[in-house]
Amino acid sequence: MSVALDFILTLVATLLHAALVFGLAPLLMGVVTKLRARTLGRRGPPLLQPYHQLAKLLHKTPLIPETATEYFTLWPVICFLAIAVAALLVPSFCTGLLTARLSDLVTLAGLLALARGVTMLAGLETGFGFGGAGAQREALYGVFAEGAFLVLLITFALLAGSTTVDGVATAFATRPIGISVSLAFALAALLTVALTETGRIPTDNPAGHLELGMVHEGMILEYSGRFLLLFEYAAMLRLLLWMSLIGTLFLPFGMATAGDILSWPLGLVLWVLKLGGMAAVLAVFEVASAKMRVFRVPEFLGAAMLLGMLASVFLFVAARIGS
Amino acid sequence: MPGQGMHLHLDALSLLFAGLLLPQVVAAALAGMRGSVTFWIFVLGMALALAAADPFTLIFGFELMSAASWLLVLRGDAKPATLYNGVALFAGACLIPALFLPPSGVAFVLVLLGAGAKAGLAPIYSWLPRAHPAPPAGVSALMSGGMVKVALYVLIRQAFIVLAPAAQPWWGDALALMGAASVVIGALRAMLEVEMKTLLACSTVEHVGLIAVGLGLALRAKAMGDPTLTALGLQAALLCAVAHALYKPLLFIGVGEVKHATGTTSLNMLGGLLRGMPRMGGLMLLGAAGMAALPFGPGFAPEFVLFHAVIMTAGTGGILDRIAFTALLAALGLSAALALGGAVRLIGIGFLGRPRTLRAAAAEDGRTGPLLGMALLGALAVPVALLPGVLSGLLLPVIIQLAPNAALQPLAYAPLPLLGLAAIVALAAGALLRRFGVRGTREVVPWMGGFGAPPPWLPFGDPATQPSATGFAQPIARAIGGGLLAAGGADPAETWLLAPLYLLHARLTRQAERVRRATLRERLAFIFMALVVFLLVLGLGEGG
Repeated sequence: MSVALDFILTLVATLLHAALVFGLAPLLMGVVTKLRARTLGRRGPPLLQPYHQLAKLLHKTPLIPETATEYFTLWPVICFLAIAVAALLVPSFCTGLLTARLSDLVTLAGLLALARGVTMLAGLETGFGFGGAGAQREALYGVFAEGAFLVLLITFALLAGSTTVDGVATAFATRPIGISVSLAFALAALLTVALTETGRIPTDNPAGHLELGMVHEGMILEYSGRFLLLFEYAAMLRLLLWMSLIGTLFLPFGMATAGDILSWPLGLVLWVLKLGGMAAVLAVFEVASAKMRVFRVPEFLGAAMLLGMLASVFLFVAARIGS
Repeated sequence: MPGQGMHLHLDALSLLFAGLLLPQVVAAALAGMRGSVTFWIFVLGMALALAAADPFTLIFGFELMSAASWLLVLRGDAKPATLYNGVALFAGACLIPALFLPPSGVAFVLVLLGAGAKAGLAPIYSWLPRAHPAPPAGVSALMSGGMVKVALYVLIRQAFIVLAPAAQPWWGDALALMGAASVVIGALRAMLEVEMKTLLACSTVEHVGLIAVGLGLALRAKAMGDPTLTALGLQAALLCAVAHALYKPLLFIGVGEVKHATGTTSLNMLGGLLRGMPRMGGLMLLGAAGMAALPFGPGFAPEFVLFHAVIMTAGTGGILDRIAFTALLAALGLSAALALGGAVRLIGIGFLGRPRTLRAAAAEDGRTGPLLGMALLGALAVPVALLPGVLSGLLLPVIIQLAPNAALQPLAYAPLPLLGLAAIVALAAGALLRRFGVRGTREVVPWMGGFGAPPPWLPFGDPATQPSATGFAQPIARAIGGGLLAAGGADPAETWLLAPLYLLHARLTRQAERVRRATLRERLAFIFMALVVFLLVLGLGEGG
């Protein structure tokens, strides 16, 4: 009986997780845009603007360029699905979801790489300059971002004894490990990777149309209608995914467990608060920093990779001294 | 032994590699090689090397394979054939003593150098991107997918079974180091090359490196007595060998068809091939997904297991070892993203976009034979991609044979549940789009960043306004190539290994020539001096 109850609770928690992730992703984007505008002293678009944007795209007939191949419409679908599956794997308000066993960080990195690859292909579809420029820059950033992300896994595997997001969160939430230098380095490295992957300042400008330095926008310029909707929605999901991931890995306090329904309300409230806090930090950071030149970005990400390596080296040294 | 006849024996390991060889041979034969006697001798050599039960048969098959493939390379392009022959001779010269030596470190180093040179492991790999593209596509496919596997088979058999009594942890370290160097340089060069066949050959160097890293980790763990890690490393290496044996021949045969249809394999001359060759292009897309190690593709499971093996290894051993394995993981991560960039560039520049030349615009779909071969390999790649857990179970006897105490953990990467999640999301999103969105699409003139419509005499627009393959790789060449490649973007192994060897060769030739041209007086003086030295030594020996 209790096994059946447990399963039903887990299923409900997973469905709630999915509904919240897919429902709140545009709102989070709206919050970041609003906070950013407010910090600059402007009023900014309404909080619900991203929903209106998506609804508008839904009613536009997609235009297919003549020089595109038959796969033109396939890339946004794959990109959206890869990001959607990745977003489902990262726990939001509680641990122990049905997707917990699948949520390996290497799988996550693979899904993000898949989304990046098809977006690059979308940029190369019609063979126009902006798309190609965006794709080649994305290829460059991806090289360092992926290296930096993977190197962090050693730190998590050593500290938590697991490489699934869920396992790391459970380990950090139940077993207090205190504040360690390694985790601080890992956080700095992960934030750098997150800023690059979500296309925010200082590596890319989410608000910049037709700017020569744009990366992500450049690749999807030929898309319109529901295919643009998929790319835009994927970008919103990606932002939520990274914020949830950082929240789960570094701020796992108060996370609910799927089998315990009484812990859900606190977990939900704390999750929303964490997202709000991170959105505020992101907005302030974006206002305070300038976009980098393209060839400064590898240095920025290279520093993240070094920090990631240092995080594990410090752990090795600590283990050596401790034993 | 000579005079005792040949002994053949098939065990789990040789059956696995023979199984890898079979679909490639069928595909290569379908791709137009079935009339060539040399090709079948090449296949016979590989089969003999795999089925050999004694060292003599093994080396006979190995050399038969080398000689036949040299002839095939020579017919394609005489220029790299000399280098290829030199490497094959070097491999043979290292392997022959190694096979007959008692188990020891020296024997292992010789095997590593000999089989490694034949497999394209760093530092002796720079022949591979020159020689593999030379012969027809079917042979290139079999050389990249099959011949390097036979060399790796020899390495595995010697390192894990024959030399096992003398195994040391540093054997694994050396193999992993060579593998890591191959991975990084292969992935980087695959990103920078413009010729599609050379690009694929560089990618082969990368994948051989990945297999070697897995084998190195397993060898090290076996010597240190860690059954879980041994199994993990072997699982990564064998899964990678299986996947690579399917998608790399597929890609090579596809490039052969591109050459047949357009007369070139240079990415800068192609573009938009998917319109003219839709079936071939779709299969190439599958192969490229494997080459880029993307999830749901055949290449992801091995990469997944390999990353976990490296993460696990970084938690064991001394502090310097741990730091080295952390750096190894960073290098593998970099290379995985480079491989993705290389695969995107292959498809995005060659098959998407606008044609850059008229011959690319006029390309027609592949011929039936090669397409059938590619379809066979593609069809086999699908279960490999979607059921890696079942495949790991099938590999278990081989892993047990190589490391009897290995403990194989179930695979944590399950593509089918992930695919199920994606299907649910796709159904829900499709229903929403259908219910609330508008239907249909409209075909328009591309926006092209605001450029005007091309003139009528340029139906596909000005090719120069499109990003080229060289241009696509430029940021990476500038940011990474500057640090890893030799001056002018040359391959480091060519600059620092081959060029000094050529210099040494020239100098020795000059000196030999000098001896041959010596005058009568010099010769007499030499004989006289030799006599004096001889007498002196004799006298001093007597006196002392």
